[in-house]
Amino acid sequence: MEKKLQEIKQQMLDELDSVKDSEFLADLKTKYLGRKGKLTQVLKEVKDLAIEEKPRMGKLANEFKKEFTDVFQKTERIIKDKKEGGTGFDATVPGARNKIGHLHPATIIQNEIEDIFVQMGFGVYDGPQVESDYYNFTALNTPEDHPARDSQDTFWLEGGLLMRSQTSNLQVRMLEKYGAPFRGIFPGRVFRNEATDASHDHTFYQLEGLMVDKGINIGNLISVMKSTLSAMFQTDVDVRLRPGFFPFVEPGFELDIKCLICDGKGCSVCSQSGWVELMPCGMVHPEVLKAGGLDPNEYSGFAFGLGFSRLIMMKYKIDDIRLLQSGDLRFLRQF
Amino acid sequence: MYLSLNWVKKHLKLPNIDAKQLALDLTMSTVEVEGVMDQSESLKDIVAGKITELTKHPNADRLYVCQVDIGEKEEQIVCGGNNLKKGMTVALAKVGSKVKWHGQGELVTLEKTKIRGVESNGMIAASSEIGLGNLFPAESENEILDLSSMRPKVGQPLAEALKLNDIVIDIDNKSINHRPDLWGQYGMARELAAIYKTKLKEYKVAELESKKEIKLRVDVEDKENCYRYLGLAIHGVKVEESPWWLKVLLESVDIRPINNIVDVTNYIMYELGQPMHAFDAKQIADNHIVVKQAIKGDKFVTLDGEKRKLPEGALMIADSQRNVALAGIMGGQNSEISNDTTNIILESANFKAASVRRTSVALGLRSESSTRFEKSLDPVLAEMAIKKATEMILALNKEAYVASELVDVDNNPFKEINIKVPEALINERFGQIIPTAEIKDILKRLQFDIKYKAKTFDINVPSFRATKDISIPEDIVEEVARIYRYDNLESKLPIVSLKKPEIDIRLQESKEIKKFLACSQNYHEIYTYPFTDQIWAKRLGFDLGKHIKVANPFSPEQAYLNISLLPNLLKKAEENLRWYEEFNIFELERTFDKNSKGSYHTDPSKKKFLPKQDKYLVGVEVSKQSAQDTFLSVKGLLETMKDYWNIDWEIEEVELPFAELAFQVKQQQIILGNFGILNSDLFDSGDTKVNVGFWQLDFTATTKYINRARKFQALAKFPSIERDMALVVDQSIKWQDIENEVYKASSLIKLVELFDIYTGKNVDKGQKSIAFHIEFRSDERTLLAEDIDKLMGKIEDILSKKFKAVLR
Repeated sequence: MEKKLQEIKQQMLDELDSVKDSEFLADLKTKYLGRKGKLTQVLKEVKDLAIEEKPRMGKLANEFKKEFTDVFQKTERIIKDKKEGGTGFDATVPGARNKIGHLHPATIIQNEIEDIFVQMGFGVYDGPQVESDYYNFTALNTPEDHPARDSQDTFWLEGGLLMRSQTSNLQVRMLEKYGAPFRGIFPGRVFRNEATDASHDHTFYQLEGLMVDKGINIGNLISVMKSTLSAMFQTDVDVRLRPGFFPFVEPGFELDIKCLICDGKGCSVCSQSGWVELMPCGMVHPEVLKAGGLDPNEYSGFAFGLGFSRLIMMKYKIDDIRLLQSGDLRFLRQF
Repeated sequence: MYLSLNWVKKHLKLPNIDAKQLALDLTMSTVEVEGVMDQSESLKDIVAGKITELTKHPNADRLYVCQVDIGEKEEQIVCGGNNLKKGMTVALAKVGSKVKWHGQGELVTLEKTKIRGVESNGMIAASSEIGLGNLFPAESENEILDLSSMRPKVGQPLAEALKLNDIVIDIDNKSINHRPDLWGQYGMARELAAIYKTKLKEYKVAELESKKEIKLRVDVEDKENCYRYLGLAIHGVKVEESPWWLKVLLESVDIRPINNIVDVTNYIMYELGQPMHAFDAKQIADNHIVVKQAIKGDKFVTLDGEKRKLPEGALMIADSQRNVALAGIMGGQNSEISNDTTNIILESANFKAASVRRTSVALGLRSESSTRFEKSLDPVLAEMAIKKATEMILALNKEAYVASELVDVDNNPFKEINIKVPEALINERFGQIIPTAEIKDILKRLQFDIKYKAKTFDINVPSFRATKDISIPEDIVEEVARIYRYDNLESKLPIVSLKKPEIDIRLQESKEIKKFLACSQNYHEIYTYPFTDQIWAKRLGFDLGKHIKVANPFSPEQAYLNISLLPNLLKKAEENLRWYEEFNIFELERTFDKNSKGSYHTDPSKKKFLPKQDKYLVGVEVSKQSAQDTFLSVKGLLETMKDYWNIDWEIEEVELPFAELAFQVKQQQIILGNFGILNSDLFDSGDTKVNVGFWQLDFTATTKYINRARKFQALAKFPSIERDMALVVDQSIKWQDIENEVYKASSLIKLVELFDIYTGKNVDKGQKSIAFHIEFRSDERTLLAEDIDKLMGKIEDILSKKFKAVLR
């Protein structure tokens, strides 16, 4: 019986070679696998076999049947493909895609930065853009007539309120609300009445950070900044602090990062200095802690302000900051 | 502020390091350096030359061809100078040197060239073309620099011939706003001495000897704003040019030399940071100086020739009859030093910073003097300054003598400052232990007077740091840290206390919806300014009076804050039509509502609140589809968002002046927003015919109703059966009403879904055909065909009664 099966198989394979179309293939299939097909006939004989032969032959018969089926199926597919290819289907035409929009590059960067700080245990907070003199200046140790008010050309509103010139306006609001320990970032847009050019706009984006706890020191600030900036730039970043003056911090610093373009060797991006100025920061001034209802003898903290309009420009090599507010889809579709 | 290395070297011995290193050290410990300029570098390849031959250019009327002897050879130069003479000594910029054409624009490197066919190997420079406009002011643009009187050697490099060999460090003024002591070369020298541990030379001033020929009277009426006033008369001066050494130092700090009196007062300002003024004594009535407040509205002509209207509170220097100077800001034209002046009155004073600042802001007049007074100068300086100035003026004017006593009206309000700083505070803020000796050394180098007792530094602050800069222990921490240098501190991650996270749902939802719109709804996110586009605000019928007005707007077009994001979004849509025919844009930002109270308080008393500044989510769809389809597209988006947020708001038709068709979105009587299509005549789309859909949601309010909670419902046990129904009804019948009626027919109806509305062939005029699916399901049993037939019959009955619907 085994021999018979082998013969039928060989015969089938020979005939298969001459198959040209699916009709002929269907006939062939019936000839072997149909109810009265050659293979079917042989398989029927299994039940007449001796009891000890039955299991082995039964298994074998099934294997043959499966093999036949597979061969027919495969052949069938080949024929089908050939046929459709023949009608001119071009698989290189675009797929049926859905149109998608785009997030603004500032949103993209803001999301990335927020994720990093959130993983470091910082909360994300939001606050008013039309602000009182108190929270934008006075509470930040910047009383009236303070020359530091000069360097921020503030938009004043009729009635004495102003448009916040810095996201620092949330420092005291947050300390009032949450007390210490506090770890948070406040991203958002700020406004300064300055002449605009390719690198200055009167509306731009900042991200303020504030951490207050017992025993927070300058070394902590350096380290937290180094860690978060390394995550942001996805490489080990070197930072340095140098003196900088802002009324609401004491001491105050400018934080530079080692130029990522030239690795500190000096290039046009870092004006040959090897360092790029990135953010003002400092230890929270005792007057600010007091304004937030905290005892400066008990708590200390640091604050930093990341100008992320600048970061967006750096990251995407955008040459004109005003494009961010242009609403120009030729620009926005690139992100 | 410019820092001249030659100048500071008069006060200390600098270590042997290059200027770049010095700039870096200053940057790391004290101030921000903008640049380093080397005078001899900028005058490189510029030499003294003598014109040996001068002929007219053959092809140009106003040009000459000069042969110039520069020692090693003669160069041929084509030049258009109007003062060229044979035998004249000139500045010859050789090929390869850097010059500014006509003193303007960027530096360019000179190349060999032909001018109108004649070869020219360099340039005979005008003073401004080689950066010497201050030292050698030219009377006309075509005047070249005549060095004949300086007698340089032929071929001698100009930097050497003119002794211009300084290195100048440009310091960012912002970085010394808080350091009144650093606005002069001596203060900078003091800082450098602390950085480099070198000795600062004592600032010596000679005691004055007076002939007491006249009596100078000084009355300070406004003691509140004039902390100190020193005056002195010097007679017998001869106003002339200053000596070269003085001019050269002034050149280093970019000051134009004027004469030997004014130059001295400027020199003192740049040396000590103390502004001074010299009056022509002849113009001061009765030798009487009065310091008092101006009468508001009075006119006064300042040195620069401007007639100014005096603001309230302006502090004036007057004589017994009239105003002679704007205190601390600028002198008056009526009493300025002229070439005929022989007697002068010197002023060295100290004015209250806030007063000078206020007047200077009110007048829009800032000067080197006001810039310094605004920083709160040390009143002690005023005395050093007037003594030093007198010494210098006497040295420059052999015939001059002190004619009056030195008058000193001293109302110095600054008290000596003593600060006690626990050593532990310094170490805690550093985050590491600094040896006591090192802290002491740093503080002493900075001229703090210190005692150390019981692990506490008892510190007396020197007067030049005590006017506002140093007052609390944290200031001392900074002083130690910056000289120790921040880059020497260890970086250490903090150990923190964990705290219950406070999650701002609104911020999270704003992230989510932005992604949803951009990634699944083909919407582009745009950012616009907070200032309303007034043209669009008017087109939409908004009342600008209801907008918050900016008191000092960037431009008149940007004078009102957004009460809605729609005007700016529509403006951007219109602009984008130049590039795209169809697109969707959205923005999520705050809007500002003058007349509604918001939730943010204005100060800790929490009695007053800022105006409402809710966030809005607003979109615009520009489409080439029909108005109806555009409307349905916007409506569809709102329905999709509604599903996404799981909110059960309702919509109802509303009249909006700018909309052809509009609905408002309501949640329990609270209006969350609206949507619709814009009046077609509002939008200027040129040749392309487009329809514009809009939608706006009060995002702050909407987020209150977003429902992220979901409750699981057991999966259906029995199969559902779907049937279609097609009806013909009058065109006035609304689908919404039909749908409601069908649902009401039985609780077994789980879904009614419209799939076609048709008018036209085979449907009578005024009628429409409506086709929809109905899905039936029971939770108790499998429904039978008979059940469904019955229900279909019932529905048909209801619809025919209610709407005169006829089955198709």
